[in-house]
Amino acid sequence: METINLLFELFPYAILGSIVAGIICSFLGVFVVSQRVVFLGAALTQAAIAGVAFSFLHLINLEQIIADFFGIQSVENSFLHHFEHTFFSLLFALIAVFIFSQSYRQKLLTTDSLLGIIFVVAIALRIIFIQKSPIAEVAEIESILKGDILFIGSQEFYTLVVILFVIASIFFLFNKQLKFVTFDADTASAHGINARLWLLIFYITVGIGISLTTRFVGDVFTFAFLILPASIAILLAKRIINVFLYSIIIGALVPPIAIYFAFKLDVSSGPTAVVLVFIIFLLVYFIKKISK
Amino acid sequence: MDKDKKQIINFSDVSIGYGSKVILRDLNISIEKNDFIGLVGPNGAGKTTFLRTLLGNIKPLSGTIEKENIVFGYVPQRDVVQPLLPYTVHDVVMMGRYSFLGMFKSPSKIDEEIINESLDRVGISSLRLLNYNSLSGGQRQRVLIARALAVRPDVLILDEPTNGLDTPSHYSVLSLISHLHDESQLTVLIVSHLLTDVANLVKKIILFEAGGFQFGSTYDILSDENLSKTYSSNIEVKKVGGEFLITSKHEG
Repeated sequence: METINLLFELFPYAILGSIVAGIICSFLGVFVVSQRVVFLGAALTQAAIAGVAFSFLHLINLEQIIADFFGIQSVENSFLHHFEHTFFSLLFALIAVFIFSQSYRQKLLTTDSLLGIIFVVAIALRIIFIQKSPIAEVAEIESILKGDILFIGSQEFYTLVVILFVIASIFFLFNKQLKFVTFDADTASAHGINARLWLLIFYITVGIGISLTTRFVGDVFTFAFLILPASIAILLAKRIINVFLYSIIIGALVPPIAIYFAFKLDVSSGPTAVVLVFIIFLLVYFIKKISK
Repeated sequence: MDKDKKQIINFSDVSIGYGSKVILRDLNISIEKNDFIGLVGPNGAGKTTFLRTLLGNIKPLSGTIEKENIVFGYVPQRDVVQPLLPYTVHDVVMMGRYSFLGMFKSPSKIDEEIINESLDRVGISSLRLLNYNSLSGGQRQRVLIARALAVRPDVLILDEPTNGLDTPSHYSVLSLISHLHDESQLTVLIVSHLLTDVANLVKKIILFEAGGFQFGSTYDILSDENLSKTYSSNIEVKKVGGEFLITSKHEG
């Protein structure tokens, strides 16, 4: 109990932020896993990271551009400094989404190949960007790229809440269209629904969620929480509503528990969360297998 | 012209394909109300491209397609549907109503009635609350047909509806399609690679061949020479007990 109190005192936003990040990933994960585009998660996390690495090259002074646009004086500002990383992370993920969306109904390249290309090019760009970044910032870059739940502060937490709200609103408002195109895009299109547009909206939403959670909690956490809670939920649930419910509950509960164990064992919280959720997956998988 | 034989879809000098690649040219086809047409041909001859053009998913490269106010009910190949999430039969069939609901509206009582009626017509009312992914291949096919009927279509289009089905389900689905056509004068287009099935089911055939097509009655199209030339194989068309039997002759 003492440790829990201490953790809440030291890392209140990290605990709350990890819950929100877990909910975002586990919710989007249901669609990513059921659509069989798990590799999209991997490709987008790497694209987002390449975007963060790009921001450290300082080729585009976003702070100055914004200041010029509004006719105000540019002042060194911590929010804008972080905004730049977030902006480029999002931009790179959205470029990846746009490239991926071109795979719809084209016969030249398989979806897998396209995702593989995005994945490997993003990693290559990330390496080049880091090599060309100012040496003084390499340590900061590495820590941002690795991402750590414990680094979530108030700004990151509120940003995550806004992202969650945006994603939930999109899926709530356009539930019918997104449900249909993710279940059977061909028929949706034949029945007069613009499947190409709705799939693009779906992938952009996934891209926003993945890029920003990657920026705040790292690629390993994001990718793992996209796949594992949804996979567990699909194994357990017999009704569609329960798939989302189980996935979100696992996504929300595991990260704070992981922070506790990480603190106790003096290890990183992100990988601990991944190991914990993997243990749950193994248990559920074997129980399901035995009970069959 | 016979009132029931009203032309509902007209292809005039249509070329179809992707980008600059023309797959079929000079398509002049008229589909009439209550037609029952089989779309057959070797792989890559343009059956899918024709369907997509007809459904409006891709634009014709040239020519005009008249299909004013025609509502299509589409039954895709079962393997394009993602079966991982446990949607109920009701959920899946309700998707057939989504294009009528507008952006934010929820299904109404009338939509529910249409769903029930569609399930009734394909004989799966009792499966309403079961999960789609727990059903057999034949049952899943009926669900997809019910979803297409929920659109209240003028034209029902089925893409390889018997693919991968066991023999009883195979014939049961064919008999259902035939019944739907007879019962409500529904115009039906069926794509299948199984020539014998199509021959015994439909009244007209569009036979796609490299770059071209033939359109006519089943009897006009199905001949040894015609099919052998199109499929570049020795094909024999026989009549056994009043039914077509189409086989490929192997030498040696």
